[in-house]
Amino acid sequence: MPTIRFSTSDREVEFADGDEVNLLRVAIRNDCGIPFKCASGNCGTDRVRVEAGADHCSTPRRRERERLGELFDQGYRLACQTYVNGDVTVAWDPEQIGLDAGSKVYDKLRQVWLAKDDGG
Amino acid sequence: MAELLSKPAFREALEDAIKGREAKNASFSQAWANGELSREHFARWAENHYHYVGPFADYLGYIYSNTPDTATDAKDFLLQNMYEEELSDVRHTDLLIRFAEACGTTRERVMDVDNATAVTRGLQGWCYAISMREHFAVATAALVVGLESQVPSIYRRQYPVLIEKYGFTEEEAEFFDLHITSDEIHGERGYQIVLEHATTPELQARCLQLVRHGAEARFSYTKALYDTYVSPEPAVANPAPALA
Repeated sequence: MPTIRFSTSDREVEFADGDEVNLLRVAIRNDCGIPFKCASGNCGTDRVRVEAGADHCSTPRRRERERLGELFDQGYRLACQTYVNGDVTVAWDPEQIGLDAGSKVYDKLRQVWLAKDDGG
Repeated sequence: MAELLSKPAFREALEDAIKGREAKNASFSQAWANGELSREHFARWAENHYHYVGPFADYLGYIYSNTPDTATDAKDFLLQNMYEEELSDVRHTDLLIRFAEACGTTRERVMDVDNATAVTRGLQGWCYAISMREHFAVATAALVVGLESQVPSIYRRQYPVLIEKYGFTEEEAEFFDLHITSDEIHGERGYQIVLEHATTPELQARCLQLVRHGAEARFSYTKALYDTYVSPEPAVANPAPALA
């Protein structure tokens, strides 16, 4: 059976042959410790470095490539955006937070708040 | 009296409650995945789907208000889910309307509830009722496990068809792409919350009942789209007079 190795938390999870599973979903279900916040590929909190088995990961979509930028070229993927169909090993920094916790998200909130201010 | 199920047994029962009722197998979903629909059909779908998912943050808000402050994991999940629906990037309903406009309909038509079927309006009403009235673990089971967790299995078959057969751009079809992954995670977190907080046999039984009802509701909603827009029953030439 294919196996996902979560090397940072020293966990392994098997899944059925022929299945294609979402990496973050497997991590949450099996308490494997990948940090996460949103589930939309926006925050980047769940970025992981693929140490082995990159060929068994789904082709990244535009949202993920844009969010990771040059990290993608360094072997990183967003766990929430990545489907796996074979043996893979991933690692991460247990203390990591979102990629830009100060910009995109808060810009959107700021726009909402300012619009309310304008309205009285 | 029923006994409390272990978490693995309860999870299996929750998954079984959806089986046989999956919306991906409803006639409209099958026709979509097989490339048998037209852009006009997608437009009618969008005009209905808006009234089911448009208030999703509202449903979650009612569940949030019923969630005790000790259930931090559930409150965090509900807030994050609401935030993603409405504020984190493009509002999800705006992504739906973007797709609808690419299908040839308008924002005004999408937002007009008179363009939704009675079954769609019933599904919306069911979601409001459950979110307002049920224990937060039960409501999470109904709306997140019963309804939302099915999304990836539906859209993973429909999204490639939109791009490859119908020629929609990735931007026009972003609503689907986004939900394939986000609802994987929402669904899984929903399961975790239900497993953690449905702590009595009665709560577990109610969760299972409403997951079943939710799956049936989504299946019926999807089937009604086919029956209404793709293969409507012929009009009755001489309808019988209404009974007094």
